[in-house]
Amino acid sequence: MTEQTPFANERDQSLGVELRAALDTADTDVFIGRLKTAVADAGVETSWDVLAAWAPRGLVAAFAAAVLIWLIGPSSAPPAPAALMASAPIQIEVAPTLPEAVVITVAVMEGR
Amino acid sequence: MPSVVRTGVERVRTPQRSPQDERTSQVEDSELARLAAKGDGDAFGILVERYGASARRVARAILGMDEDADDAVQDGFISAWRGIARYDPTRPFRPWLTRIVANSALDLGRKRKVRHTVAIPEHAASGTIRPDRATDHSLFRERLRVALEELPERQRIAVTLFDAEGYSHAEVAEVLKVPEGTVRSYVFHARRALRRALGAFKEDAP
Repeated sequence: MTEQTPFANERDQSLGVELRAALDTADTDVFIGRLKTAVADAGVETSWDVLAAWAPRGLVAAFAAAVLIWLIGPSSAPPAPAALMASAPIQIEVAPTLPEAVVITVAVMEGR
Repeated sequence: MPSVVRTGVERVRTPQRSPQDERTSQVEDSELARLAAKGDGDAFGILVERYGASARRVARAILGMDEDADDAVQDGFISAWRGIARYDPTRPFRPWLTRIVANSALDLGRKRKVRHTVAIPEHAASGTIRPDRATDHSLFRERLRVALEELPERQRIAVTLFDAEGYSHAEVAEVLKVPEGTVRSYVFHARRALRRALGAFKEDAP
């Protein structure tokens, strides 16, 4: 190992060799073979796999939403036609010309 | 779920050369990663061969010399394989892969709270006994492993990546997600601590 400063760019070659030797074992080839097998067995996830993984949760969420809508649905459903009629403004019929004064007077006197 | 698919890697191999290293050494990591992203398991297999041993050393630097390190490497490579589509081919592949493996090792270490310790043989700790050269060397490596384990986690990773695995400061910085200056500091302090711990063997180290 050589004395160096934090600003040095050189590798400590002897330390590197010793570190590699200290961290390696004789079974590296066996390990690599095992690793390749594990990776091959794991397979790669496609977008369909991702969707399939989410599908059960998605279905549960959709079912829950449907139940919720069904439960709160009546209160927010559109009003029945009768209710619509009741709440509609009263229609006022207006004559195209003003009636004569005598007609109005007779109507008032007769209580119409 | 598709398993290994043989597609493009045959195109980049040179069949007339028999040793696989020779056949595949010319293929760039980014090209292999691109093929792997299309589902080419053989291409990713070459990357496993290329970086498996290095990743194992990094994981061992983090977790110690036990099976946890191998599990972390396996988890990391499987994550990389499944997430290969997220790799940006314009950036170096090795730091991307190493970051995944290192994170896997760090996660495993946190989960299992494993802090593997290796007992230092008494005669090694004293540094006064000088057996034959081979034994001496073996003791030196044993002490080096122990000294490495006593370093702070990030210093351990930095010195292993820089001095043992040949990463540049910038690549180590990418793996650790810290500035280059911090990496330089980690490496410097790690070396100094290792030098101090291995004082008795300093002159004899090859």
